Amino acid sequence: MSEKNSDLRARAKARHAHFARRRRDPRYQRVIGRFKAAKLLITNDEVPEHREPITVSDTLWAGEVEPRLIELLPAAILKKPSLFVDIESLPHDLASVVGAIRRHETPPPLRGIPGENLLHWVPRIGHRGKIPSRLKSFRFTAEDLALLAELSRELDLSETETLRQALRKLAHASDVNTASDRE
Amino acid sequence: MSGGLAEGRGDAGFARHANMLRQVARQLDDWIAAQNREARREGLPTIRSCHIRVVGQTALLEVGVPLTLVATRDVDVTADYESAVEAEFRRLLRMKGRELNPLGHEIWMPRETRYSMLHAGRSVELSVADPEAVLVSKALKAPDKNLALIIEYLARGPSTRFLTLAKKYRINLEQFL
Repeated sequence: MSEKNSDLRARAKARHAHFARRRRDPRYQRVIGRFKAAKLLITNDEVPEHREPITVSDTLWAGEVEPRLIELLPAAILKKPSLFVDIESLPHDLASVVGAIRRHETPPPLRGIPGENLLHWVPRIGHRGKIPSRLKSFRFTAEDLALLAELSRELDLSETETLRQALRKLAHASDVNTASDRE
Repeated sequence: MSGGLAEGRGDAGFARHANMLRQVARQLDDWIAAQNREARREGLPTIRSCHIRVVGQTALLEVGVPLTLVATRDVDVTADYESAVEAEFRRLLRMKGRELNPLGHEIWMPRETRYSMLHAGRSVELSVADPEAVLVSKALKAPDKNLALIIEYLARGPSTRFLTLAKKYRINLEQFL
């Protein structure tokens, strides 16, 4: 082995020791164990699976060793929120990412992971193909509301589902393609 | 120089995933055989044979490299199969709890990649990329995401082949240290 390569290996060993220590840390083990149990990650390491909730801060910490955790985190928060105990108080950068995904926008990068990679997981976690719905407010007249309530009763649908169906019928009547038509 | 990626990790975690692809390839072969029998009976065109090449983290998991591996459930492949075969392959992987990455074919691999045959059936050949080529691909295209993995590999003693490929593709190994 050349001197140069021997030096490379020695320095790699020192850095590897740092990562190995982190991997033995209970926080890393808990996070990986929960992601494994949720069928989000696979490892060849003997990390015990469990179903106890974990914290977002531990996940971000463990993500410094295993960036795939960061890549999955925003989608997991949106699609499998019961994994975490503390999603009400997200760090600013993570909250921005989650907010952008909720608005159906490409999120900014998160701790070195490009926004497109974060978005990639949203339809692939939890209910397959489902993207979180977004809250939007409208002002209706009393007559509109009475009509919506009446239709909802008649069709035995929620008011939201009634509006969704009405939109699709309107699109169909106006020859406008919906996202599901385009698939 | 060691770079002993041939010896498997051999723990329970690995055992669960080893041979997953072989089983899926066998099932896919059986499915194509059944479809082709049916097609011949009805005088319809048969499904042509295909070659599936597995790359990425799944290739490392499948050959059981002695490195700490964490992978998503995505399986990255390049293949020359028909869309019906792709759909069946996707379904079979899903039954094993894995997902076929729709962008898997975009993954860059070195031209020198060697593929070892895991399954050579009547209609399906399935092979996996060699670990050194996978690690070169990761070190070049996604160094941040694979930092811990590459460091662990370098700490074990990289093979001459890896170092040669790293030099050829101008990978700055210092960035990992």
